[in-house]
Amino acid sequence: MKITNFWMLLVTGLLLLGGCDPTDNPHGGGDDPIDIKPKATGTLEIDFKVPYSYSLPPNKVLRADLSIAKGAEELYKGRFMRVANVYNNKAKYTFELEPGTYYYQAGIVCIAEGDSCSASNFPGGQWGMKWSIGVGVVTANNTTTVVPQFTN
Amino acid sequence: MIHKMRKSIFWGFCALLLTPVFHNCSTEFEMNAENLNVPIAYCILNSADSFQYVRLQKTYLVDQAALETPPHPDSMIFPGEVVISIERWQDGKPVETVLFQPVTDIPKDTGFFPTDNHILYRAKLKVQPMQKYRIYIYIGDKEKVMYAETNTIGRLTVVDPLDIPQRKISLTTGTNYISRWQPVQNAGIYQVALRFNYKETKDGVTELRYFDWPQGYTKPSSAIDFLSSEISGARFMHLLAENIPVDPGVVREVESFDFAILSGGMELRYYIESTAPSEGALLEKPVYSNITNGVGLFSTISRVDVTGLPASSVTIDSIAYSPFTRELNFLDHTGDRDSTNRF
Repeated sequence: MKITNFWMLLVTGLLLLGGCDPTDNPHGGGDDPIDIKPKATGTLEIDFKVPYSYSLPPNKVLRADLSIAKGAEELYKGRFMRVANVYNNKAKYTFELEPGTYYYQAGIVCIAEGDSCSASNFPGGQWGMKWSIGVGVVTANNTTTVVPQFTN
Repeated sequence: MIHKMRKSIFWGFCALLLTPVFHNCSTEFEMNAENLNVPIAYCILNSADSFQYVRLQKTYLVDQAALETPPHPDSMIFPGEVVISIERWQDGKPVETVLFQPVTDIPKDTGFFPTDNHILYRAKLKVQPMQKYRIYIYIGDKEKVMYAETNTIGRLTVVDPLDIPQRKISLTTGTNYISRWQPVQNAGIYQVALRFNYKETKDGVTELRYFDWPQGYTKPSSAIDFLSSEISGARFMHLLAENIPVDPGVVREVESFDFAILSGGMELRYYIESTAPSEGALLEKPVYSNITNGVGLFSTISRVDVTGLPASSVTIDSIAYSPFTRELNFLDHTGDRDSTNRF
């Protein structure tokens, strides 16, 4: 009886000791707990107004493109980080971004027939586009608003 | 003596009680009522098509699962004379009448078709918006006329997407697309369907392929300028991963997006609601029918297609390199594949 008790005590002790082994964290970091903090972001708001043209009805000039890039070079090479879906009845577009400087391009398209688009300085006439390129500086927990400007 | 009589009455009474019990011990009983050969007709007038179709058959009864033992064609189709006509009504009188003709050469969609000789009835008819249409189906075998009417819906005006090639579609995790349209008179239900077109090249052979993604139904609301359906970019990426097979020998290229915006009549809405899964205590709902002297549906749809919309460079790169879809071997927007790129 005493031998049985001894063996039971031994096995229990081994199990308890085995359970004390520190397990590897599959995400790395060893024994320290993982410290994941969401990165602080800010908001870049683009107030994408379609400019009024004296020679064109308002529904003949439409928003066509709104893209964001991390730098000027990326913008010119078409390596965008965000491309918004633009709509006729929505003017303000927001992007949640990490703090930093961002470049944007906004494009409008003329859909009028005849030579109306050319008369309003849209290159190529119908389906011609005008572009506005600018910079927005995003700071943490703040909203930066930029307004693209188009030439007449 | 009295004791003997009482004993006899007691046993007689017991025998009387037990007789129906023994008679009711049969284990066979009828589950199905007799088949009444009820006519079933479906006709959805499509304003986007110059031909209209009617599907006519009758109820049939099989002892086993219909997929294993399909019914004989004679059990589904009415023999003898069938005359189907449609009338357009204006100011209380018919102004146009067209007869349907039987056809069997229309390719069938996927589904259960127990017989190859499946008759459809076709009429050359361009459906007018905001009109009353009446359909009459005469079945000589039953000496019966089925009848139904519907009001066609107004013209569907799509606000987004517009057919502007410069406006690219973005559908990525975190970027949704909102399709908008103006409410249509007489419409009871709407649905947007998205088609993603892509090219697939294997062993030097390139084929065009597509993936269809119908969105949920939208019901009309009162006093609003636009109705809308939001298409989730995150869900789109997951569905691509679930529906396009991984094949290391294949190279794929994003082509374009097509949108189909459909509006359906009130009858179609009631029918869809009646065939939807039940919620709550009422598990068995009767299926909606607006056909007199039969069962089925006579309603109308209107459809607008906006096709060939290009995907944004971010969408193309996201499909090429996102963790969900990178195994599908899509090229990025530069026509390349960078194995080290992570999106």
